[in-house]
Amino acid sequence: MSKLGLVVESVDKHNQFVLDQVKRARTDKDFGRDLVGRWNDIKAKIPTTRTPTGIPLPRLALPEIDEPGEIARYLFSEGLPGEFPYLNGAYREMYLEPIREVESLEKNGHAKNGKAAKKIAPTEEPTRLFSGLMLAEDTNERFHFLTAHQRTHRLSTAFDGPTLYGIDSDADGVFGKIGEGGVAIDTVEDMVRLYDGFDLGSPNFSASMTISGPAPIIMAMYIAAAKRRFGPSVVPKLRGTVQADIFKEVQAQNETIFPIEPSLRFLTDMVEFTSHEMPRWYPISISGYHIGEAGSTPVQQAAYTLSNGFAYAEMFAARGIPVDQFGPRLSFFLDCGLDAEYIALARVSRRIWAIGMRDVFGAGPKAQLYKLHTQTSGRSLIAAEFKNNLTRTAAELVLAYMNATNSCHSNSADEPFTTPSEEWIRLAAHGQAILLEESGIFKHTMNMLSGSPGMKAVERAVETAILEEFREIERLGGVLAAVEERYQRSQIQNAAHRYEQQIYDGTRPIIALNKYRNGSDEDIPEVKLARTPRKKQQLQVDRLVKFKKKNAEKSKRALDKLAAVVESGKNCFPALLDAVEVCSLGQITGRLQEVVGRFRPMV
Amino acid sequence: MAAPIRVLTAVPICDGHDSAINTINLEFIRHGIEVVYLGYHRPVADIVRAAIQEDVRAIGISSYNGGHVEFFAEVVDLLRKKGADDIKVFGGGGGTITHDDAKIMRRRGVDEIFFAGTSLEEMVKFVHDRYGKPRGKRPRPKSAEQELAHRLTEIEDTKGKIRNPKSEIRNSKVIGFTGPGGAGKTTLIDELVLRFLNKDKKSRFAILSHDPSVIGEGALLGDRATMINSQNDRVFMRSMATRGQAGGLSPATHDCLALLSQSGFDYVIIETVGTGQEAMPFQKNGIVDQTILVMNPDYGSRLQLQKIVMLDLADVVVVNKSDLQRAKTAHTEIEQRLEQNRRSQRLVDTVAKRHRDPGVDRLFDLISVAAVYDRRNPKAGAHRAPLQKKRRKK
Repeated sequence: MSKLGLVVESVDKHNQFVLDQVKRARTDKDFGRDLVGRWNDIKAKIPTTRTPTGIPLPRLALPEIDEPGEIARYLFSEGLPGEFPYLNGAYREMYLEPIREVESLEKNGHAKNGKAAKKIAPTEEPTRLFSGLMLAEDTNERFHFLTAHQRTHRLSTAFDGPTLYGIDSDADGVFGKIGEGGVAIDTVEDMVRLYDGFDLGSPNFSASMTISGPAPIIMAMYIAAAKRRFGPSVVPKLRGTVQADIFKEVQAQNETIFPIEPSLRFLTDMVEFTSHEMPRWYPISISGYHIGEAGSTPVQQAAYTLSNGFAYAEMFAARGIPVDQFGPRLSFFLDCGLDAEYIALARVSRRIWAIGMRDVFGAGPKAQLYKLHTQTSGRSLIAAEFKNNLTRTAAELVLAYMNATNSCHSNSADEPFTTPSEEWIRLAAHGQAILLEESGIFKHTMNMLSGSPGMKAVERAVETAILEEFREIERLGGVLAAVEERYQRSQIQNAAHRYEQQIYDGTRPIIALNKYRNGSDEDIPEVKLARTPRKKQQLQVDRLVKFKKKNAEKSKRALDKLAAVVESGKNCFPALLDAVEVCSLGQITGRLQEVVGRFRPMV
Repeated sequence: MAAPIRVLTAVPICDGHDSAINTINLEFIRHGIEVVYLGYHRPVADIVRAAIQEDVRAIGISSYNGGHVEFFAEVVDLLRKKGADDIKVFGGGGGTITHDDAKIMRRRGVDEIFFAGTSLEEMVKFVHDRYGKPRGKRPRPKSAEQELAHRLTEIEDTKGKIRNPKSEIRNSKVIGFTGPGGAGKTTLIDELVLRFLNKDKKSRFAILSHDPSVIGEGALLGDRATMINSQNDRVFMRSMATRGQAGGLSPATHDCLALLSQSGFDYVIIETVGTGQEAMPFQKNGIVDQTILVMNPDYGSRLQLQKIVMLDLADVVVVNKSDLQRAKTAHTEIEQRLEQNRRSQRLVDTVAKRHRDPGVDRLFDLISVAAVYDRRNPKAGAHRAPLQKKRRKK
């Protein structure tokens, strides 16, 4: 049995444990009394805050239960926010504004505006905005624009097609793709330009890089760029995330450049390095987003993301990295659309992850957390009457925050037809601010929207369906075997096909597309497109050619050394760090492909 | 009834968005269209080469990552340059292609761009209306490759009525691959092609690959999508649908193969569709010089082996996926089964998906060295009896 089979058993066991505790709370008087006592203690310790209009609210909302069995069910099956199994949240408090004084209200009978009881350092904005366009200096300018008014600088980087496929900008037939859909990165010099002006070693800075196939090479370039600017001592201080999720690439997104096994080996080499040298780095973002965008159902998305995560954990543990060292450095990334499952998808995922990590991998509390970044669904947005996309994204944001996501990206309404423009990016970011800072939905009370009977019903249905997917993958021999048999791919493709069918036969209403449609096919808005000018594309090629010429001799030696290390089976990440100093992305990819082969696409 | 429309579909280089094209491919084949699917992340040169070799009516490109104005135009330009502008280009890209872009693209020779919200029915109708009429007089082929492609189309579309007027002298070694679906034939052939290409820098190859037609006469011809090494100027590949014939080949296979074997390739490789136990696509003394049966270790019980007819006929039996648990048992059982035949059959274990697999190297030696067919004495093979006689199943 692979570890995934054990995870299914552990969740079943935990559910039985909950039932046993409920029964015991009802039959064992002492145990029941203890539980009620604990419950009352918990409630007594919850601070009270007040709203701007003056009513008092608890910082944490709990169900109104006093019967020992129900208390046992809540504490063991859901847990308080920040407590195992973390159904309600990875942390005790999230999104909350500083406590407003309540006593003053009671004494004076009316609210005094905005006076906080004590100064609490403002919490970090959970807003993340994904960005990348044209050349490194253009994206750099966009980054500075986006973070101009933020306390923390959390940059999320999109790369262009050639970079995602590990190809150089001067390769045949990619000229028109340079800087399209993301930033063009060929060399460490581009990487220096990309984050220019930001303090890479600061706790207030982190860089997220959305790239998987060539992730170890790009990661090495990031480290090399940081060292060039701040010296070698910056390395352990670096914060950020690199996506590096090979399984989801093979299952859904198709940006894989080496065969699966060497891809996983290069990933593990990188994770081994960062686990030791970069304790604040997240070397992998286990991503369901692209699985969802490729057309999976929400359950498939959650199930494949979790099972991929457990497969990585199994691999890293097999390399000898302690679970409490790599576990806290795993992060997750989910899509949030409008289907009912999204009401609780991340909640259930968090619970299954915690149980599996604790009971199968022996992880401590920090390695049990399913730390989640959410992005609203790109697929749910359409070009026709595109301003409706604001509403879609807003609804998805509410769902995402109901799931207590740790960070969130909201899509721009103009995404179906272009790289987002500044106007719509601004509206997308403001959508989050309105929800979190302006509205009272999330800022006063944890669990404000948790625990409804509907949510519970969705949780149960989703958990059952996820475990059923796990069993199927287990029957196929585990995640890697199932991937090679293209199980997940075909499931996703079937779901995508069904979704399209539903749109065309009208059983899935998409407003202004197949329902309440107004106007002709010619209603695609005229927008200014952020296209990369040919001059810039040529500049990128010229720079690259210059870099290659300058390093012609050194790059040959570095590539030979890299190839030798890869052949030897040793960890190749240090050799990669040397290679990026003098080699381009495409040179390294090409040499590695000579040694380990190219990825054979699955269809 | 007119021959099915053949189109080629692909996603451009540096673009992995294949969700839409997968849905469209399925819809096309459901409506009688034969789709040669090239896959995602495909450069212009691969698309144009494949379109010419496959001699499709049109190329459908699904582009989501930008750069579409240039990419589509490059495809059109290269087709023109190669004298293949009777192959038309259409496509789409959800909302990423604006109406202004589409105007430019049409001006530069693209037939049609579909925007977000176009129904699948509209696309099918477009292909039927625009590319469904019989071809008029073909332009004069500009290259030998194009001429070969045109003639293969004539043979295929007239169901072999047009005989090959060329001399019967063959100048290629013909290797046949067969075996059950999912055994890894396509991957294995592609790995062998890589070795051929590397060994002799001047050699040229042809591949005749088969996929089953589904009801309504459409077919998804998808081998190219995974054959990354075979998308090469020295490889001529043609994908054929079985068009209603059982047994793993098409009614036109024999004549197409005969033509290919006389067209100056060093090797011609023919791959059947995934076959059943009783299948006998290549007969003794047929046009095929060497037959390779590719097996999956998971064939079931030892008894099943007795029923596999090709085990008696194959020159080489390959147990692919020999990294699977059952592989050792499979090897022993097949070895015993072959011993009954008292012929000099060879048994090779491979893991085709593995880069530089030593088993594939051994198979390559057997194929490239064994003098089943002597190139210096081409007539030696020419007297062989033809391929299995075709019987069209009603």
